[in-house]
Amino acid sequence: MEQRFLPWFKRSYNERTRDLSTRRHIFSASAAVSHQEWRGCMEAIAVRALTKSYGSFEALKGVEMSVPQGAVYGLLGPNGAGKSTLIKALVGALRPSGGEMRVLGLDPLRDRSQLRRCIGYMPQSAALYGDLSARDNVRFFGSAHGLPDLDRRVREVLEFTDLSDRAGDAIHTFSGGMKRRVSLACVLVHRPRVLFLDEPTAAVDPGLRARFWTTFRDLADDGVTLFISTHLMDEALLCDEVAVLRQGRIIIHDTPKGILERGLTRVVVRRSGQGCEEHIIGGHPEDLAQALRSYGLAQDVDAVEVRRDTLETVILSLIEREEVRV
Amino acid sequence: MRRTLVVATRVLRQLIREHRLLGLSVVAPLVIVYFLKLFFDTMPPTFETARYAVPVAAFLVHFLAFLLCAIVLVQERTAGTLERMFINGFRRTEVIGGYLVGYLALATLQAIVALTEAVLLFQLNYAPGTLGVLFIVVWLLAVASVMLGIFISTFARNEGQVFPFIPMIIVPSVFLSGLILDPHRLPDWAEWLGRLLPLRYANNVIQEMIRPGGALGAIWPNLLVLVAYSVVLWVLASRTLAEVE
Repeated sequence: MEQRFLPWFKRSYNERTRDLSTRRHIFSASAAVSHQEWRGCMEAIAVRALTKSYGSFEALKGVEMSVPQGAVYGLLGPNGAGKSTLIKALVGALRPSGGEMRVLGLDPLRDRSQLRRCIGYMPQSAALYGDLSARDNVRFFGSAHGLPDLDRRVREVLEFTDLSDRAGDAIHTFSGGMKRRVSLACVLVHRPRVLFLDEPTAAVDPGLRARFWTTFRDLADDGVTLFISTHLMDEALLCDEVAVLRQGRIIIHDTPKGILERGLTRVVVRRSGQGCEEHIIGGHPEDLAQALRSYGLAQDVDAVEVRRDTLETVILSLIEREEVRV
Repeated sequence: MRRTLVVATRVLRQLIREHRLLGLSVVAPLVIVYFLKLFFDTMPPTFETARYAVPVAAFLVHFLAFLLCAIVLVQERTAGTLERMFINGFRRTEVIGGYLVGYLALATLQAIVALTEAVLLFQLNYAPGTLGVLFIVVWLLAVASVMLGIFISTFARNEGQVFPFIPMIIVPSVFLSGLILDPHRLPDWAEWLGRLLPLRYANNVIQEMIRPGGALGAIWPNLLVLVAYSVVLWVLASRTLAEVE
Protein backbone atom coordinates (compact mmCIF):
# COMPACT_ATOMS: atom_id res chain seq x y z
CA MET A 1 0.00 0.00 0.00
CA GLU A 2 2.81 2.36 0.84
CA GLN A 3 3.92 2.22 -2.76
CA ARG A 4 0.78 4.07 -3.79
CA PHE A 5 1.94 7.17 -1.94
CA LEU A 6 5.41 7.32 -3.39
CA PRO A 7 6.00 10.10 -5.97
CA TRP A 8 5.36 8.82 -9.46
CA PHE A 9 8.98 9.04 -10.55
CA LYS A 10 10.15 6.84 -7.64
CA ARG A 11 7.76 4.07 -8.57
CA SER A 12 8.33 1.80 -11.48
CA TYR A 13 6.18 2.05 -14.55
CA ASN A 14 4.63 -1.32 -13.75
CA GLU A 15 3.65 -0.23 -10.25
CA ARG A 16 2.10 2.96 -11.52
CA THR A 17 0.07 1.25 -14.15
CA ARG A 18 -0.92 -1.63 -11.92
CA ASP A 19 -2.75 0.87 -9.73
CA LEU A 20 -4.90 1.65 -12.69
CA SER A 21 -5.41 -2.01 -13.54
CA THR A 22 -4.64 -1.09 -17.11
CA ARG A 23 -1.13 -2.38 -17.56
CA ARG A 24 -2.04 -4.36 -20.65
CA HIS A 25 -3.66 -1.33 -22.27
CA ILE A 26 -0.90 1.21 -21.96
CA PHE A 27 1.48 0.22 -24.73
CA SER A 28 0.64 -3.37 -25.34
CA ALA A 29 0.73 -5.08 -28.69
CA SER A 30 -3.00 -4.53 -28.93
CA ALA A 31 -2.32 -0.86 -29.65
CA ALA A 32 -4.63 1.20 -31.80
CA VAL A 33 -3.01 0.06 -35.02
CA SER A 34 -1.83 -3.42 -35.80
CA HIS A 35 1.50 -3.67 -37.58
CA GLN A 36 1.69 -7.33 -38.42
CA GLU A 37 4.05 -6.85 -41.31
CA TRP A 38 6.29 -4.54 -39.42
CA ARG A 39 6.73 -6.81 -36.43
CA GLY A 40 8.97 -9.06 -38.46
CA CYS A 41 11.24 -6.14 -39.20
CA MET A 42 13.74 -4.93 -36.62
CA GLU A 43 14.13 -1.36 -37.89
CA ALA A 44 11.71 1.18 -36.44
CA ILE A 45 13.24 4.04 -38.41
CA ALA A 46 15.33 3.86 -41.55
CA VAL A 47 16.79 6.91 -43.29
CA ARG A 48 18.80 6.84 -46.49
CA ALA A 49 20.60 9.83 -48.05
CA LEU A 50 18.06 12.29 -46.68
CA THR A 51 18.55 15.90 -47.75
CA LYS A 52 16.66 19.10 -47.10
CA SER A 53 17.55 22.46 -48.60
CA TYR A 54 16.14 25.91 -47.96
CA GLY A 55 17.30 27.81 -51.01
CA SER A 56 21.07 27.55 -51.04
CA PHE A 57 21.20 26.47 -47.39
CA GLU A 58 21.44 22.72 -46.85
CA ALA A 59 19.87 21.79 -43.50
CA LEU A 60 20.33 18.03 -44.04
CA LYS A 61 23.14 16.69 -46.17
CA GLY A 62 22.54 13.02 -46.86
CA VAL A 63 21.55 11.70 -43.45
CA GLU A 64 21.76 7.93 -43.01
CA MET A 65 20.48 6.14 -39.96
CA SER A 66 18.81 3.02 -38.72
CA VAL A 67 16.98 2.83 -35.41
CA PRO A 68 16.10 -0.58 -33.98
CA GLN A 69 12.68 -1.19 -32.49
CA GLY A 70 12.36 -0.62 -28.77
CA ALA A 71 15.54 1.46 -28.60
CA VAL A 72 16.11 4.77 -26.92
CA TYR A 73 17.90 6.57 -29.72
CA GLY A 74 19.58 9.87 -28.97
CA LEU A 75 20.12 12.48 -31.66
CA LEU A 76 22.76 14.84 -30.38
CA GLY A 77 23.94 18.05 -31.86
CA PRO A 78 24.38 21.73 -31.20
CA ASN A 79 21.61 24.22 -31.89
CA GLY A 80 21.07 24.60 -35.63
CA ALA A 81 22.56 21.20 -36.46
CA GLY A 82 19.35 20.08 -38.17
CA LYS A 83 17.82 17.95 -35.39
CA SER A 84 14.34 19.47 -35.56
CA THR A 85 14.41 19.41 -39.36
CA LEU A 86 15.18 15.69 -39.31
CA ILE A 87 12.45 14.95 -36.76
CA LYS A 88 9.88 17.00 -38.67
CA ALA A 89 10.73 15.10 -41.84
CA LEU A 90 10.33 11.78 -40.02
CA VAL A 91 6.89 12.69 -38.63
CA GLY A 92 5.71 13.86 -42.04
CA ALA A 93 5.54 17.57 -41.23
CA LEU A 94 8.32 18.49 -43.64
CA ARG A 95 8.94 17.48 -47.23
CA PRO A 96 12.60 16.52 -47.70
CA SER A 97 14.48 17.57 -50.82
CA GLY A 98 15.81 14.08 -51.45
CA GLY A 99 16.50 10.64 -50.02
CA GLU A 100 14.28 8.03 -48.46
CA MET A 101 12.84 7.45 -45.02
CA ARG A 102 10.62 4.84 -43.40
CA VAL A 103 9.04 4.77 -39.99
CA LEU A 104 7.61 1.38 -39.02
CA GLY A 105 8.05 0.52 -42.67
CA LEU A 106 5.78 3.38 -43.78
CA ASP A 107 6.62 6.44 -45.82
CA PRO A 108 5.99 9.47 -43.57
CA LEU A 109 4.51 11.47 -46.47
CA ARG A 110 2.77 8.91 -48.64
CA ASP A 111 1.38 6.85 -45.75
CA ARG A 112 0.77 9.85 -43.54
CA SER A 113 -2.69 9.01 -42.29
CA GLN A 114 -1.72 5.44 -41.45
CA LEU A 115 1.53 6.41 -39.77
CA ARG A 116 0.06 9.16 -37.61
CA ARG A 117 -1.96 6.64 -35.67
CA CYS A 118 1.18 4.91 -34.44
CA ILE A 119 3.65 7.75 -33.85
CA GLY A 120 3.77 10.49 -31.26
CA TYR A 121 5.56 13.81 -31.69
CA MET A 122 6.48 16.13 -28.84
CA PRO A 123 7.70 19.44 -30.27
CA GLN A 124 10.29 21.70 -28.69
CA SER A 125 7.72 24.30 -27.71
CA ALA A 126 4.82 23.42 -25.41
CA ALA A 127 2.31 23.57 -28.34
CA LEU A 128 -0.70 23.48 -26.01
CA TYR A 129 -3.87 25.56 -25.68
CA GLY A 130 -3.22 27.88 -22.75
CA ASP A 131 -6.89 28.59 -22.02
CA LEU A 132 -7.83 24.95 -21.90
CA SER A 133 -7.19 22.55 -19.04
CA ALA A 134 -4.57 19.80 -19.14
CA ARG A 135 -7.41 17.27 -19.49
CA ASP A 136 -9.00 19.16 -22.41
CA ASN A 137 -5.66 19.43 -24.20
CA VAL A 138 -4.93 15.72 -23.86
CA ARG A 139 -8.49 14.80 -24.84
CA PHE A 140 -8.41 17.08 -27.88
CA PHE A 141 -5.22 15.63 -29.36
CA GLY A 142 -6.32 12.12 -28.44
CA SER A 143 -9.69 12.57 -30.09
CA ALA A 144 -8.00 12.80 -33.49
CA HIS A 145 -7.36 9.08 -33.29
CA GLY A 146 -10.92 7.99 -32.57
CA LEU A 147 -10.03 5.92 -29.51
CA PRO A 148 -13.00 3.98 -28.18
CA ASP A 149 -11.68 4.33 -24.62
CA LEU A 150 -10.56 7.95 -24.86
CA ASP A 151 -11.77 9.08 -21.43
CA ARG A 152 -10.00 6.22 -19.73
CA ARG A 153 -6.83 6.83 -21.74
CA VAL A 154 -6.86 10.52 -20.79
CA ARG A 155 -7.12 9.55 -17.11
CA GLU A 156 -4.32 7.01 -17.48
CA VAL A 157 -1.79 9.30 -19.15
CA LEU A 158 -2.57 12.14 -16.75
CA GLU A 159 -1.98 9.73 -13.88
CA PHE A 160 1.17 8.44 -15.59
CA THR A 161 2.59 11.97 -15.86
CA ASP A 162 1.43 12.81 -12.31
CA LEU A 163 -0.98 15.49 -13.45
CA SER A 164 -4.24 14.11 -12.05
CA ASP A 165 -4.41 16.72 -9.30
CA ARG A 166 -4.13 19.62 -11.76
CA ALA A 167 -5.97 18.02 -14.67
CA GLY A 168 -8.78 20.58 -14.57
CA ASP A 169 -6.54 23.66 -14.37
CA ALA A 170 -5.81 25.90 -17.35
CA ILE A 171 -2.41 25.39 -18.94
CA HIS A 172 -1.47 29.07 -18.56
CA THR A 173 -1.32 28.53 -14.79
CA PHE A 174 1.29 25.76 -15.16
CA SER A 175 5.06 26.00 -14.79
CA GLY A 176 7.32 25.23 -17.75
CA GLY A 177 8.05 21.75 -16.40
CA MET A 178 4.36 20.93 -15.94
CA LYS A 179 3.65 22.05 -19.50
CA ARG A 180 6.31 19.61 -20.70
CA ARG A 181 4.52 16.85 -18.78
CA VAL A 182 1.17 17.78 -20.34
CA SER A 183 2.89 17.79 -23.73
CA LEU A 184 4.20 14.29 -23.02
CA ALA A 185 0.73 13.15 -21.93
CA CYS A 186 -0.68 14.42 -25.26
CA VAL A 187 1.92 12.32 -27.07
CA LEU A 188 1.19 9.13 -25.13
CA VAL A 189 -2.60 9.17 -25.19
CA HIS A 190 -3.05 7.13 -28.39
CA ARG A 191 -0.49 4.44 -27.49
CA PRO A 192 2.12 5.29 -30.15
CA ARG A 193 4.75 2.72 -31.02
CA VAL A 194 7.39 5.28 -31.97
CA LEU A 195 7.91 8.53 -30.08
CA PHE A 196 9.71 11.53 -31.53
CA LEU A 197 10.71 13.88 -28.74
CA ASP A 198 12.35 17.13 -29.80
CA GLU A 199 14.54 18.34 -26.93
CA PRO A 200 12.08 17.16 -24.29
CA THR A 201 14.37 18.10 -21.42
CA ALA A 202 15.49 21.52 -22.67
CA ALA A 203 15.03 24.19 -19.99
CA VAL A 204 13.71 21.81 -17.34
CA ASP A 205 15.24 21.43 -13.89
CA PRO A 206 17.53 18.45 -13.12
CA GLY A 207 14.87 16.74 -11.01
CA LEU A 208 12.29 16.75 -13.78
CA ARG A 209 14.95 15.74 -16.28
CA ALA A 210 15.67 12.62 -14.21
CA ARG A 211 11.93 11.85 -14.02
CA PHE A 212 11.57 12.20 -17.78
CA TRP A 213 14.42 9.80 -18.42
CA THR A 214 12.96 7.27 -15.99
CA THR A 215 9.72 7.50 -17.97
CA PHE A 216 11.54 7.11 -21.30
CA ARG A 217 13.28 3.97 -20.10
CA ASP A 218 9.98 2.57 -18.84
CA LEU A 219 8.39 3.16 -22.22
CA ALA A 220 11.32 1.54 -24.01
CA ASP A 221 11.03 -1.47 -21.70
CA ASP A 222 7.48 -1.78 -22.95
CA GLY A 223 8.64 -1.93 -26.57
CA VAL A 224 8.15 1.70 -27.57
CA THR A 225 10.90 3.16 -29.76
CA LEU A 226 12.04 6.59 -28.61
CA PHE A 227 13.83 9.01 -30.92
CA ILE A 228 15.05 11.83 -28.69
CA SER A 229 16.91 14.92 -29.80
CA THR A 230 19.00 16.83 -27.31
CA HIS A 231 21.92 19.20 -27.19
CA LEU A 232 22.85 18.00 -23.70
CA MET A 233 25.78 15.63 -24.20
CA ASP A 234 25.44 13.89 -20.83
CA GLU A 235 21.97 12.62 -21.86
CA ALA A 236 23.65 10.46 -24.48
CA LEU A 237 24.75 8.11 -21.71
CA LEU A 238 21.09 7.30 -21.06
CA CYS A 239 20.46 6.21 -24.65
CA ASP A 240 20.93 2.79 -26.23
CA GLU A 241 22.38 4.33 -29.37
CA VAL A 242 23.55 7.79 -30.23
CA ALA A 243 23.98 9.74 -33.44
CA VAL A 244 25.71 13.10 -33.50
CA LEU A 245 24.38 15.49 -36.10
CA ARG A 246 26.67 18.30 -37.15
CA GLN A 247 25.77 20.79 -39.86
CA GLY A 248 23.21 18.48 -41.36
CA ARG A 249 25.42 15.38 -41.40
CA ILE A 250 25.65 12.39 -39.05
CA ILE A 251 29.28 12.36 -37.99
CA ILE A 252 29.15 9.80 -35.18
CA HIS A 253 26.86 6.83 -34.77
CA ASP A 254 27.55 4.39 -31.97
CA THR A 255 26.50 3.16 -28.55
CA PRO A 256 27.47 5.43 -25.62
CA LYS A 257 29.93 2.72 -24.53
CA GLY A 258 31.45 2.59 -28.00
CA ILE A 259 31.89 6.34 -28.03
CA LEU A 260 33.52 6.32 -24.60
CA GLU A 261 35.96 3.72 -25.83
CA ARG A 262 37.11 6.15 -28.50
CA GLY A 263 38.25 8.57 -25.77
CA LEU A 264 41.44 8.63 -23.75
CA THR A 265 42.22 7.43 -20.26
CA ARG A 266 44.86 9.03 -18.08
CA VAL A 267 46.54 6.67 -15.63
CA VAL A 268 48.45 8.53 -12.92
CA VAL A 269 50.79 6.27 -10.97
CA ARG A 270 52.42 7.39 -7.72
CA ARG A 271 55.49 5.36 -6.70
CA SER A 272 57.13 5.57 -3.30
CA GLY A 273 59.80 8.24 -3.29
CA GLN A 274 59.46 8.96 -7.05
CA GLY A 275 56.47 11.31 -7.34
CA CYS A 276 53.75 10.86 -10.00
CA GLU A 277 53.95 9.67 -13.58
CA GLU A 278 51.10 10.06 -16.07
CA HIS A 279 50.36 7.63 -18.90
CA ILE A 280 47.77 8.34 -21.58
CA ILE A 281 46.11 5.26 -22.99
CA GLY A 282 43.02 4.41 -25.07
CA GLY A 283 39.49 4.32 -23.67
CA HIS A 284 38.86 0.59 -24.18
CA PRO A 285 38.75 -1.55 -20.99
CA GLU A 286 41.52 -3.78 -22.39
CA ASP A 287 43.79 -0.73 -22.73
CA LEU A 288 43.31 -0.05 -19.02
CA ALA A 289 44.08 -3.66 -18.07
CA GLN A 290 47.20 -3.54 -20.19
CA ALA A 291 48.29 -0.25 -18.61
CA LEU A 292 47.73 -1.50 -15.09
CA ARG A 293 49.77 -4.59 -15.84
CA SER A 294 52.55 -2.41 -17.25
CA TYR A 295 52.62 0.45 -14.77
CA GLY A 296 50.29 -0.01 -11.89
CA LEU A 297 50.77 -3.39 -10.27
CA ALA A 298 54.40 -3.15 -9.14
CA GLN A 299 55.44 -3.40 -5.47
CA ASP A 300 56.58 0.22 -5.26
CA VAL A 301 53.25 1.67 -6.44
CA ASP A 302 51.48 3.55 -3.64
CA ALA A 303 48.43 4.74 -5.61
CA VAL A 304 46.88 4.54 -9.07
CA GLU A 305 44.42 7.14 -10.29
CA VAL A 306 42.42 6.53 -13.46
CA ARG A 307 40.82 9.53 -15.20
CA ARG A 308 38.61 8.72 -18.18
CA ASP A 309 37.39 11.25 -20.72
CA THR A 310 33.76 12.06 -20.20
CA LEU A 311 31.31 11.34 -23.00
CA GLU A 312 31.06 15.06 -23.65
CA THR A 313 34.84 15.39 -24.01
CA VAL A 314 34.98 12.42 -26.37
CA ILE A 315 32.13 13.69 -28.51
CA LEU A 316 33.57 17.20 -28.70
CA SER A 317 36.99 15.86 -29.67
CA LEU A 318 35.43 13.60 -32.30
CA ILE A 319 33.50 16.58 -33.68
CA GLU A 320 36.73 18.59 -33.76
CA ARG A 321 38.55 15.74 -35.52
CA GLU A 322 35.72 15.44 -38.06
CA GLU A 323 35.82 19.16 -38.78
CA VAL A 324 39.57 19.01 -39.42
CA ARG A 325 39.05 16.01 -41.70
CA VAL A 326 36.27 17.80 -43.68
CA MET B 1 -17.08 15.01 -39.82
CA ARG B 2 -16.40 13.77 -36.29
CA ARG B 3 -13.01 15.44 -36.20
CA THR B 4 -14.47 18.66 -37.64
CA LEU B 5 -16.86 18.74 -34.70
CA VAL B 6 -13.99 17.99 -32.32
CA VAL B 7 -12.10 21.04 -33.65
CA ALA B 8 -15.26 23.18 -33.52
CA THR B 9 -15.94 22.14 -29.92
CA ARG B 10 -12.39 22.97 -28.95
CA VAL B 11 -12.55 26.39 -30.69
CA LEU B 12 -15.84 27.16 -28.92
CA ARG B 13 -14.50 26.02 -25.57
CA GLN B 14 -11.48 28.27 -26.04
CA LEU B 15 -13.70 31.21 -26.97
CA ILE B 16 -15.87 30.69 -23.89
CA ARG B 17 -12.84 30.52 -21.62
CA GLU B 18 -11.24 33.59 -23.20
CA HIS B 19 -13.57 36.02 -21.45
CA ARG B 20 -11.81 39.18 -22.62
CA LEU B 21 -11.85 38.23 -26.29
CA LEU B 22 -15.46 37.11 -26.10
CA GLY B 23 -16.53 40.21 -24.21
CA LEU B 24 -14.69 42.60 -26.49
CA SER B 25 -15.91 40.97 -29.68
CA VAL B 26 -19.52 41.32 -28.54
CA VAL B 27 -19.20 44.67 -26.80
CA ALA B 28 -17.13 46.34 -29.54
CA PRO B 29 -19.92 46.34 -32.18
CA LEU B 30 -22.35 47.64 -29.55
CA VAL B 31 -20.09 50.53 -28.62
CA ILE B 32 -19.31 51.42 -32.24
CA VAL B 33 -22.99 51.34 -33.28
CA TYR B 34 -23.72 53.62 -30.31
CA PHE B 35 -21.00 56.04 -31.44
CA LEU B 36 -22.58 55.96 -34.88
CA LYS B 37 -25.86 56.96 -33.28
CA LEU B 38 -24.17 59.88 -31.49
CA PHE B 39 -22.62 60.95 -34.80
CA PHE B 40 -25.91 60.70 -36.72
CA ASP B 41 -27.68 62.73 -34.03
CA THR B 42 -25.50 65.71 -35.05
CA MET B 43 -26.67 65.49 -38.68
CA PRO B 44 -29.52 67.59 -40.12
CA PRO B 45 -33.03 66.05 -39.70
CA THR B 46 -33.15 65.32 -43.43
CA PHE B 47 -30.19 62.91 -43.12
CA GLU B 48 -31.29 59.36 -43.79
CA THR B 49 -29.81 57.37 -40.92
CA ALA B 50 -31.49 54.09 -41.92
CA ARG B 51 -29.38 53.97 -45.08
CA TYR B 52 -26.24 53.58 -42.97
CA ALA B 53 -27.27 51.95 -39.68
CA VAL B 54 -27.65 48.32 -40.75
CA PRO B 55 -24.84 48.38 -43.34
CA VAL B 56 -22.41 49.70 -40.70
CA ALA B 57 -23.52 46.97 -38.27
CA ALA B 58 -22.91 44.42 -41.06
CA PHE B 59 -19.48 45.93 -41.73
CA LEU B 60 -18.54 45.59 -38.04
CA VAL B 61 -19.50 41.91 -38.04
CA HIS B 62 -17.51 41.44 -41.28
CA PHE B 63 -14.42 43.15 -39.89
CA LEU B 64 -14.39 41.47 -36.47
CA ALA B 65 -15.16 37.98 -37.78
CA PHE B 66 -12.33 38.29 -40.33
CA LEU B 67 -9.81 39.70 -37.89
CA LEU B 68 -10.48 37.39 -34.93
CA CYS B 69 -10.50 34.23 -37.01
CA ALA B 70 -7.35 35.16 -38.94
CA ILE B 71 -5.39 36.08 -35.81
CA VAL B 72 -6.41 33.06 -33.77
CA LEU B 73 -5.57 30.69 -36.62
CA VAL B 74 -2.15 32.35 -37.07
CA GLN B 75 -1.63 32.00 -33.31
CA GLU B 76 -2.18 28.27 -33.77
CA ARG B 77 0.68 28.26 -36.25
CA THR B 78 3.10 30.28 -34.12
CA ALA B 79 2.28 28.24 -30.99
CA GLY B 80 2.92 24.97 -32.85
CA THR B 81 -0.57 23.59 -32.12
CA LEU B 82 -1.54 23.64 -35.81
CA GLU B 83 1.45 21.46 -36.69
CA ARG B 84 0.61 19.22 -33.73
CA MET B 85 -2.97 18.89 -34.97
CA PHE B 86 -1.80 17.76 -38.41
CA ILE B 87 0.72 15.31 -36.97
CA ASN B 88 -2.04 13.86 -34.79
CA GLY B 89 -4.07 13.17 -37.90
CA PHE B 90 -6.43 16.15 -38.27
CA ARG B 91 -6.85 17.03 -41.96
CA ARG B 92 -6.85 20.61 -43.20
CA THR B 93 -10.49 20.46 -44.31
CA GLU B 94 -11.38 19.34 -40.78
CA VAL B 95 -9.40 22.22 -39.27
CA ILE B 96 -11.03 24.74 -41.63
CA GLY B 97 -14.49 23.27 -41.02
CA GLY B 98 -13.95 23.30 -37.26
CA TYR B 99 -12.87 26.92 -37.29
CA LEU B 100 -15.78 27.87 -39.51
CA VAL B 101 -18.33 26.26 -37.21
CA GLY B 102 -16.66 27.60 -34.05
CA TYR B 103 -16.35 31.17 -35.27
CA LEU B 104 -19.77 31.16 -36.86
CA ALA B 105 -21.24 30.75 -33.41
CA LEU B 106 -19.44 33.93 -32.37
CA ALA B 107 -20.35 35.71 -35.62
CA THR B 108 -24.01 34.74 -35.17
CA LEU B 109 -23.96 36.24 -31.70
CA GLN B 110 -22.34 39.38 -33.07
CA ALA B 111 -24.88 39.60 -35.92
CA ILE B 112 -27.84 39.29 -33.52
CA VAL B 113 -26.42 41.80 -31.05
CA ALA B 114 -25.36 44.40 -33.65
CA LEU B 115 -28.59 44.17 -35.67
CA THR B 116 -30.79 44.32 -32.57
CA GLU B 117 -28.97 47.37 -31.29
CA ALA B 118 -29.09 49.12 -34.68
CA VAL B 119 -32.84 48.47 -34.98
CA LEU B 120 -33.56 49.64 -31.43
CA LEU B 121 -31.22 52.63 -31.36
CA PHE B 122 -32.26 54.00 -34.73
CA GLN B 123 -35.91 53.06 -34.17
CA LEU B 124 -36.11 51.17 -37.44
CA ASN B 125 -39.60 49.79 -38.02
CA TYR B 126 -38.90 46.89 -40.34
CA ALA B 127 -41.32 44.05 -40.92
CA PRO B 128 -40.36 40.70 -39.36
CA GLY B 129 -39.70 39.30 -42.85
CA THR B 130 -37.28 42.14 -43.62
CA LEU B 131 -35.52 41.63 -40.30
CA GLY B 132 -35.22 37.91 -41.08
CA VAL B 133 -33.59 38.62 -44.47
CA LEU B 134 -31.29 41.21 -42.88
CA PHE B 135 -30.18 38.63 -40.33
CA ILE B 136 -29.60 36.00 -43.01
CA VAL B 137 -27.51 38.34 -45.14
CA VAL B 138 -25.39 39.50 -42.18
CA TRP B 139 -24.93 35.87 -41.17
CA LEU B 140 -23.86 34.85 -44.70
CA LEU B 141 -21.49 37.81 -44.72
CA ALA B 142 -20.07 36.51 -41.42
CA VAL B 143 -19.52 33.08 -43.00
CA ALA B 144 -17.65 34.71 -45.90
CA SER B 145 -15.66 36.84 -43.42
CA VAL B 146 -14.61 33.81 -41.37
CA MET B 147 -13.56 32.03 -44.57
CA LEU B 148 -11.67 35.14 -45.69
CA GLY B 149 -9.92 35.19 -42.29
CA ILE B 150 -8.98 31.51 -42.61
CA PHE B 151 -7.72 32.02 -46.18
CA ILE B 152 -5.67 35.11 -45.32
CA SER B 153 -4.19 33.43 -42.24
CA THR B 154 -2.53 30.85 -44.49
CA PHE B 155 -0.30 33.62 -45.88
CA ALA B 156 0.79 34.98 -42.50
CA ARG B 157 3.61 33.50 -40.47
CA ASN B 158 2.77 35.57 -37.40
CA GLU B 159 -0.02 37.76 -36.03
CA GLY B 160 1.71 40.94 -37.23
CA GLN B 161 1.50 39.78 -40.84
CA VAL B 162 -2.30 39.69 -40.63
CA PHE B 163 -2.56 43.45 -40.09
CA PRO B 164 -1.37 44.58 -43.56
CA PHE B 165 -4.40 42.73 -44.96
CA ILE B 166 -6.72 45.10 -43.10
CA PRO B 167 -5.85 48.16 -45.26
CA MET B 168 -5.70 45.85 -48.30
CA ILE B 169 -9.11 44.18 -47.88
CA ILE B 170 -11.20 45.63 -45.08
CA VAL B 171 -10.66 49.38 -45.54
CA PRO B 172 -11.37 49.30 -49.31
CA SER B 173 -14.65 47.55 -48.45
CA VAL B 174 -15.83 50.76 -46.76
CA PHE B 175 -15.36 52.82 -49.92
CA LEU B 176 -15.93 50.34 -52.74
CA SER B 177 -18.83 48.20 -51.59
CA GLY B 178 -21.55 50.86 -51.35
CA LEU B 179 -21.38 51.38 -47.61
CA ILE B 180 -20.88 55.14 -47.96
CA LEU B 181 -21.85 55.91 -51.56
CA ASP B 182 -23.48 54.26 -54.52
CA PRO B 183 -20.75 52.11 -56.11
CA HIS B 184 -22.06 52.88 -59.60
CA ARG B 185 -20.73 56.42 -59.18
CA LEU B 186 -17.19 55.05 -58.89
CA PRO B 187 -14.83 54.71 -61.90
CA ASP B 188 -15.37 51.42 -63.71
CA TRP B 189 -12.18 49.81 -62.45
CA ALA B 190 -12.99 50.69 -58.83
CA GLU B 191 -16.54 49.50 -59.26
CA TRP B 192 -15.23 46.16 -60.54
CA LEU B 193 -12.71 45.96 -57.71
CA GLY B 194 -15.62 46.39 -55.31
CA ARG B 195 -17.25 43.31 -56.83
CA LEU B 196 -14.41 41.22 -55.39
CA LEU B 197 -15.44 42.18 -51.86
CA PRO B 198 -18.17 40.24 -50.02
CA LEU B 199 -19.50 43.37 -48.30
CA ARG B 200 -20.62 44.66 -51.71
CA TYR B 201 -23.14 41.81 -52.13
CA ALA B 202 -24.35 42.01 -48.54
CA ASN B 203 -24.83 45.75 -48.92
CA ASN B 204 -26.82 45.27 -52.16
CA VAL B 205 -29.32 43.11 -50.27
CA ILE B 206 -29.43 45.36 -47.22
CA GLN B 207 -30.03 48.53 -49.26
CA GLU B 208 -32.86 46.88 -51.19
CA MET B 209 -34.49 45.43 -48.09
CA ILE B 210 -34.47 48.67 -46.10
CA ARG B 211 -35.84 50.68 -49.04
CA PRO B 212 -39.56 51.33 -48.66
CA GLY B 213 -41.28 48.71 -50.78
CA GLY B 214 -38.03 46.78 -51.25
CA ALA B 215 -38.22 43.03 -51.82
CA LEU B 216 -35.86 40.10 -52.14
CA GLY B 217 -37.24 39.22 -55.57
CA ALA B 218 -34.58 40.71 -57.84
CA ILE B 219 -31.61 40.74 -55.52
CA TRP B 220 -31.56 37.20 -54.14
CA PRO B 221 -28.65 36.20 -56.45
CA ASN B 222 -26.50 38.39 -54.18
CA LEU B 223 -27.10 35.86 -51.40
CA LEU B 224 -25.95 33.11 -53.75
CA VAL B 225 -22.81 35.11 -54.53
CA LEU B 226 -22.06 35.28 -50.80
CA VAL B 227 -22.46 31.51 -50.53
CA ALA B 228 -20.29 30.99 -53.63
CA TYR B 229 -17.71 33.38 -52.18
CA SER B 230 -17.44 31.22 -49.05
CA VAL B 231 -17.23 28.00 -51.06
CA VAL B 232 -14.46 29.38 -53.29
CA LEU B 233 -12.52 30.60 -50.25
CA TRP B 234 -12.98 27.18 -48.64
CA VAL B 235 -11.46 25.50 -51.70
CA LEU B 236 -8.61 28.01 -51.87
CA ALA B 237 -7.88 27.76 -48.13
CA SER B 238 -7.90 23.95 -48.39
CA ARG B 239 -5.10 24.31 -50.91
CA THR B 240 -3.06 27.03 -49.22
CA LEU B 241 -3.22 25.71 -45.64
CA ALA B 242 -0.13 23.52 -45.70
CA GLU B 243 -0.15 20.24 -43.78
CA VAL B 244 3.45 19.64 -44.84
CA GLU B 245 6.08 22.40 -44.91
